[in-house]
Amino acid sequence: MNAPDADAPLVERVKQGDVKAFEMLVVKYQRRIERLIGRMVRDVDLVPDIAQETFIRAYRALPQFRGDSAFYTWLYRIAVNTAKKSLMELKRDPLVTESARAGRDEDDDNPRVENEPSDAATPDAVLASKQIASAVNFAVEALSEDLRQAITLREIEGLSYEEIAELMNCPIGTVRSRIFRAREAIAARLRPLLDTREGDRW
Amino acid sequence: MAIDGFGDSAKERLSALADGELDRPGSTTSCAAWAGDAALRADWHAWHLIGDVLRSEDLASNPGHDRDFCAKLRLRLQAEPVVLAPMPAIAEPAGGRSDRRARPSRWAAAGAVAAGVVLVVGTFAVVRPGEWPTAQVAGGDAPVSIAASPVGAASTEEAAVQPVAIVADSKVFRDAQLERYLEAHKQFAGTSALGVPSAFLRSATVDSAAR
Repeated sequence: MNAPDADAPLVERVKQGDVKAFEMLVVKYQRRIERLIGRMVRDVDLVPDIAQETFIRAYRALPQFRGDSAFYTWLYRIAVNTAKKSLMELKRDPLVTESARAGRDEDDDNPRVENEPSDAATPDAVLASKQIASAVNFAVEALSEDLRQAITLREIEGLSYEEIAELMNCPIGTVRSRIFRAREAIAARLRPLLDTREGDRW
Repeated sequence: MAIDGFGDSAKERLSALADGELDRPGSTTSCAAWAGDAALRADWHAWHLIGDVLRSEDLASNPGHDRDFCAKLRLRLQAEPVVLAPMPAIAEPAGGRSDRRARPSRWAAAGAVAAGVVLVVGTFAVVRPGEWPTAQVAGGDAPVSIAASPVGAASTEEAAVQPVAIVADSKVFRDAQLERYLEAHKQFAGTSALGVPSAFLRSATVDSAAR
């Protein structure tokens, strides 16, 4: 990406002591970081822990982040290093985690019942993920052409508002409003799926 | 135009912030709004989830998991000391505030400086008892010129006794050495080129030549 880092304003806020701005970055990148770690570490139960460690390390190291690369590139490296370190520690001091045991006991008729399984692996969670993916796609299809084009150029092509304005031949303010309305329209379709547990709030 | 607190405009600004398209004051306001409004936080999550899914369907994660992850991390972040990267705008008042308290440490710094100088001169006298009369003159000069500058620096410098003393101390060593190099160079510029046997003098010549 040759565009300036979209995370720069939030990174600057964090550097000025705004912890909440860091939480905003966590909400943004947690899924990508977990997927990355999940590809390195076979044991799904360890993935959230390593991802947590990644973000904590990134937070501590942020004063040294100079913005020479994009924030995500920097975070990516920390995630890879944290996962490697965890794998080394695991080799030295192997511990049997829930899912590793489940994997080994596959033929057993004693599935994991007593212990709470990690939500990433349950069939319910997989189903919920699939539902979300199809809801998003369905909602995007239902958008007007203008809104669909704007959100696609932004999210898939990664273009800046200025570039989108040029492509769509409209003012930047219109781009901003179209992207926002597209997000709202898609989110409206997602909301029933996202607010599943009462009392759980962001 | 856009007014704070008006649901949609605050949301629209947050959406712009998600794309890095908000100016600095706007970002500050939006971050504060995010921190204080659970609905905005839910939107923020939904929008990024949408972006992730549009790019790659396997990023469609279970929303309960995301929420738990962030709640857990928030607790851990609360236990962390707040990070603060040094910025010019913040460094200025910090120096002024500790100025009053730095006053006693100024004397400590001066003491440390003097001790450092004594050490330098002392070491010098021990290592090179009579071999080097000119250098001792250079060392004797040092306390006056060097002691003055770190004390002045200490008054503008914020910070506790220890760091100032250490910084001043190392400065003294470096400065005195530099003085000696320069002094020695002046003194032996001609002779060292002709091949004075001392390695120390030769390196002084090289050093000043590189300068």
